[in-house]
Amino acid sequence: MINLGHAYADTPSPGPEWRQLSDAGRRTRVIDALQAGAAALNGAVVIAAAKEDGQIIVNLVEPQPAGKRGQLLLDLEAFLKEAIDPGLSVWLEALGDRNSLRNLRGIEVKA
Amino acid sequence: MTAAVQTREGALILDSHKLSYHYDRVQAWEAGERIAPVSVDMALTRACGAMCSFCYAMMQESQARSSIKTTHALNLLDDFATIGVRSVSLVSDGESTLSKAYVPFIQHAAELGIDVGNATNAWEWEPEKIEQVLPHLTWVRFTVAAGRPESYAKIMYKGPEHTKVFDRAMRHIKYAVDLKKRLGLSVTLGIQMVLMPEFKDEIIPFAQLGVDLGVDYAVIKHCSDDEQHTLGIDYGKYEELYELLTQAEAMSNEQTKVIVKWSKIRDGDKPPYKRFYGPAFLLQISGSGLVAPSGMFFNARHSKLHIGNYTEERFIDIWKSDRYWRAMNYLASPAFDAQTMMGTLPIQHYVSVALDRHAKGIERIQPGKGPKPLHVNFL
Repeated sequence: MINLGHAYADTPSPGPEWRQLSDAGRRTRVIDALQAGAAALNGAVVIAAAKEDGQIIVNLVEPQPAGKRGQLLLDLEAFLKEAIDPGLSVWLEALGDRNSLRNLRGIEVKA
Repeated sequence: MTAAVQTREGALILDSHKLSYHYDRVQAWEAGERIAPVSVDMALTRACGAMCSFCYAMMQESQARSSIKTTHALNLLDDFATIGVRSVSLVSDGESTLSKAYVPFIQHAAELGIDVGNATNAWEWEPEKIEQVLPHLTWVRFTVAAGRPESYAKIMYKGPEHTKVFDRAMRHIKYAVDLKKRLGLSVTLGIQMVLMPEFKDEIIPFAQLGVDLGVDYAVIKHCSDDEQHTLGIDYGKYEELYELLTQAEAMSNEQTKVIVKWSKIRDGDKPPYKRFYGPAFLLQISGSGLVAPSGMFFNARHSKLHIGNYTEERFIDIWKSDRYWRAMNYLASPAFDAQTMMGTLPIQHYVSVALDRHAKGIERIQPGKGPKPLHVNFL
């Protein structure tokens, strides 16, 4: 059931404890949390980056069909919000266009 | 938002929404029911022979591309009919006229009573194909990036010397305009310019081309960009174009209306809403078969919002699944910020503005009264 009560709510940002960590420190914090509390999720993804603004960039260890990867990544995000900081969000690494003709434009999707 | 434009065939709403005419669905949504989308925007392929410099499809690569067979496409329509989808627009992230499923899809939708619209560059939309589909289409919107052949070829293809693509498109558009007149069809024919600020010199020639072609409308819209600003659109520069856009609108005549999507152009790159309610009413499906709430989320980066692929399982099962509603609920939760976590000005923009104002109690959606506008089933 759609909850319409959040129309005005702000999206949480990461707190000072997260922001004060180094890039490597944040990445370690995520990996440690996964190893401690979410073994199944930990085996399914590789943490590529953990940014100061709360974006956790991951890669899938194995390609997953659309019906599974969405659930996996939402589960991962929910776990990290609970275990580390509610301001975290999970993203997969962006893919560039595979259309060879359009690629002649030389536009690269920014990460 | 801008009111309807009166045409010879009825009121045409291009710069707003038509939720009032689907009030039953709004009420059901507000009551917490799992509603079917009123409209689905989709493509039958990710392929395209053009290389438009403004094309959002460049930012919409998901994971694997599935080949959409005609059977998949027809099953999809059957599922749409079962759950109550009222219209399909073949736009999204590919040139659907290239798909073998294109003609049977449109004909089958007509049999099921589902309205279909189509955006195309018209390059492969030849007379035989036009005759097979035009009587069954509610509208066709031709992508025409510029009013002059050289500029058109530069923006949409390899360079200004390739004007044959312009000639080909114009031939096919004129054929459709003539066929509509000859058969007395109700289909609306329009051309659309996706305006990047650097295309300002094309605004007036584009409007003139629309008038010369005798199409029903020529619309000028903003260009969308992703949240990483891959295309580098400077939304601050649109204001400098307002005078030219107003001049273009003044070129409207009895047959052809020149329309500017002022609401989107003025809203720029920051939507007034934080939550994204529109996709429950206007769903998007990729030409890869991917079902995601919006085209804004087709790219692999947004995989957490990938719900399923209708070439792998029936759409009706995807729609009935908890994962479908988990994705929709995520967009309505504080975890999602529409102002920073997605691209600009999605196809669900008008609907999302209205639903946001409705949810906040600022302006409640009211049931539609009086004659229905044209294309009422396309939100």
